[in-house]
Amino acid sequence: MADMSLETGRMQRFRERGLKWVLAPGALVILYLFFGIFGRNYFSYPTLVNIIDAAYYIGFISIGVTFVIISGGIDLSIGTVMMCSAIIGGTALKHGFPMVPSLLLIIVVGLAFGFLNGVLVSRLKMPPFIVTLGTMMISMGVGSIVSNVQSATFPIRGTAGGWFKDIFLYLGSNGGGAIPTGALLLAFVAVLCHLLLSNTKLGRYTYAIGSNIEAARLSGVDVKKWQLLVYVIAGGTAGIGGISYAAIYTTVLPAQGQGFELYAIAAAVIGGTSLAGGIGTIWGTIIGVFIMSVLATGLPALNLEAHYQTFFTGLIVIGAVLLDMYRNKKAAEVRIETPADAYKASMLEKIAALKQEAAVRAAAGDAQQSAKIREQLSAAHAELKTTFARMRTEEKAEKARIRAEEKAADHEFAEMVKRHELAQQDKTERHV
Amino acid sequence: MSRQILSMRKIDKRFTGVHALRQVDFDLDEGEIHALVGENGAGKSTLMKVLIGIVPRDTGEIRYLDHQFNPRNPKHALEMGIGIIHQELNMMDHLTVAQNIFIGRESTQLGGMLLDKRGQTKRAEELFKRLNMNIDPGESLGRLTVGKQQMVEIAKAVSHSLRILILDEPTAALTDVEIDELFAIMRDLASKGVGMIHISHRLDEIHRIADRVTVLRDGERVDTKKTAEVTKQQIINMMVGRVIYEQPKTKATVAPDAPVVLRVNKLNAGKLVRDVSFTLRKGEILGIAGLMGSGRTETARAIFGADEIQSGSIEIRGRRIAIRSPEDAVANGIGYLSEDRKRYGLAVNLSVRDNLALATYDRFQLGILIQARKVRQVTGDYVQRLNIRTPSLDQLLRNLSGGNQQKVVIAKWLIRNCDILIFDEPTRGIDVGAKSEIYTLMNELTREGKSIIMISSELPEILRMSDRIIVMCEGRLTGELNIEEASQEAIMEFATMGHQQVLTRS
Repeated sequence: MADMSLETGRMQRFRERGLKWVLAPGALVILYLFFGIFGRNYFSYPTLVNIIDAAYYIGFISIGVTFVIISGGIDLSIGTVMMCSAIIGGTALKHGFPMVPSLLLIIVVGLAFGFLNGVLVSRLKMPPFIVTLGTMMISMGVGSIVSNVQSATFPIRGTAGGWFKDIFLYLGSNGGGAIPTGALLLAFVAVLCHLLLSNTKLGRYTYAIGSNIEAARLSGVDVKKWQLLVYVIAGGTAGIGGISYAAIYTTVLPAQGQGFELYAIAAAVIGGTSLAGGIGTIWGTIIGVFIMSVLATGLPALNLEAHYQTFFTGLIVIGAVLLDMYRNKKAAEVRIETPADAYKASMLEKIAALKQEAAVRAAAGDAQQSAKIREQLSAAHAELKTTFARMRTEEKAEKARIRAEEKAADHEFAEMVKRHELAQQDKTERHV
Repeated sequence: MSRQILSMRKIDKRFTGVHALRQVDFDLDEGEIHALVGENGAGKSTLMKVLIGIVPRDTGEIRYLDHQFNPRNPKHALEMGIGIIHQELNMMDHLTVAQNIFIGRESTQLGGMLLDKRGQTKRAEELFKRLNMNIDPGESLGRLTVGKQQMVEIAKAVSHSLRILILDEPTAALTDVEIDELFAIMRDLASKGVGMIHISHRLDEIHRIADRVTVLRDGERVDTKKTAEVTKQQIINMMVGRVIYEQPKTKATVAPDAPVVLRVNKLNAGKLVRDVSFTLRKGEILGIAGLMGSGRTETARAIFGADEIQSGSIEIRGRRIAIRSPEDAVANGIGYLSEDRKRYGLAVNLSVRDNLALATYDRFQLGILIQARKVRQVTGDYVQRLNIRTPSLDQLLRNLSGGNQQKVVIAKWLIRNCDILIFDEPTRGIDVGAKSEIYTLMNELTREGKSIIMISSELPEILRMSDRIIVMCEGRLTGELNIEEASQEAIMEFATMGHQQVLTRS
């Protein structure tokens, strides 16, 4: 309602936003604890490193794809672009390119594909689904052509150029005590992108474009420019993802990456990003990534093969969206206050007044009085509980009774109409 | 005395942000034509949606043929004998008339294996004969005129052996001859005992066709009267209440020598803007009147850069500028409030604050970061200043009522410091209280030196607000009136002036 009090406004705000902040992380913690209790050796440092390791490359591209989805688009090419950029970098390395330019090349390839997507979507007004479906295939082809369908191997630890692995997993001097430094990088990129989304023009426009592109345009927003930029950012994250993939898996095969985009999109959706655009957070997406990563590492610990991961991820995606829809529906619902609600409100008011009085008495040192009031308080609480429960049951019973009556009336009514119709038909037939 | 077939009692319905129906009563007799009138947003369509089960009522009772009736969905209502004909026709152009009528319940032969096309055509023919309609059932629907299509829709509804037929603005797209035909069919149906609820904006029709009229305003039933006992003026008074259409402005409040802030010269754009020229002075409210499709909105969109300009020039404060996109227009201090705010004005899934700041983010930046506190402060100020009723700045816009949403759009342009404001149907679909608030606000703005172009279909609104009025017809300017000489009749004359007349006049 327009003139809702501040208090209920805050409640609604919590229902609409706060719950999202609690639900997904809650699910992540519960999953982790679940595997920890029932799985073999799950609560260990190496497992934790594994979880984080498995999250990198999907993590980077899902951040990128979150931007695109919030802007109302979709990027199906992001997985293959990631692998394409990685294999192009590896091939360059094979042909004697130095390390640093090769890594930069990976990023540049990602940005270039993002730019291509962005131009096609924003300037030529093509549907993002079609555009990125096309560039998904193109990037896969380009990777194979450039690498001549041969795998590319990045330097391993200890050799020249092997230092770049330390960016993602620092093993220390003697191989003991691994530090998943990549987690720091992922966190850095995530925080940066979160800031971009929430605290810059780019971010606010991304939400506005995703929510209503025409309204954004008619507010004087240069929609084309920002749309293009969003796809370029996605391409950039694909490049970073490519580097992280190379660092962790060392060997990159040609024509890979198909399906990664769906995991990235799934992570965003689990984290509460709406495919309709305008809604979503980086924070949610990161949680989504780790939920999938915990599944990937946890299921083997339960002696379930890794392919169960796909199955359960699917369940979680559907569950997350269902929950989101239910929550939105609840938030939009208008409740009609029943006598039970009114009773509860009045009792709560009374209790609050009593509490205040108790506090005043206690402060005044009147221990006897305050004890007495506290007694009244607990009595009031008890009364509220039983009476409210009773009223609620009565109301529910009444509702059920009315529904049953309505149903009976419906039935009777349908019968009557049928009889009436027959009579009417009779009449008109005679009439004709 | 005919029998009462429908009685709705104390129907109440709330949506988020708006109390759509408040304890509304409505009756219908057998064979009666009952007009239901009210302004946009008065609750007419919600009441009908409750009756056919699209929207569940919160409280209240519906009695139909002396039985309690709880419509579950339109199909259920139709089975029970209550049908509706929507304003937009819901039929398939490529199918034949007969196929359209019997879709979902086709005649079949060979135990349901094959369609019995001939039998179906025959049934349609019989139906048309019974209704005195002259339509070929084998013709494909798309080739009929809108009027005939409407009759097909009526025939389709009647073929369900209806007791109640709801007609939602059936005459909106019809020619006079077609309207006569439609009314003849309605009278014929009435004589067969069908009760009809006739929703219309054309008050003249009501006296021609309806037996009784019920007026709704802001979700409340104002009154139900026999049409013979009320005049058109009385109905209008009931519809609008006292608040809005007090007196038309009698004297322009802007000095005739005030500087010209906007000069549009020989503007051409799209199909509906032809050689449009006019000026807007500082502190003035310029009303643009005209019928639907006269090119008012298209002119506004062209000036704002939303649609491409083909030729012509625009001068702002004496300087000629090129407007290629809304960005250019906004940069030059033009703000546009669209007639369809949900589609073109607002991002309803974003917060009040985001919507308010949308046009102005570059002014809140420090480096590339947006200063959240400054945004909060400025948008908060405007929420207070325009009296936008929202629990907080973080409230999602879709939870606000129409009037408050409209104020958000206005505030968006004020925050951007636009001083030429184009208001396209600023009070469409908002309730009476919010309307008068927006009028007050517009007057305040012009006193502060802002200039407003107001497009409106409601002549009383044009007459009440404008200092000067220009009238459009078929893409051209057909007249200009100072408020002192303006009247509804004078405006209508210009607005209905055909293309040929314009040419011969000039």
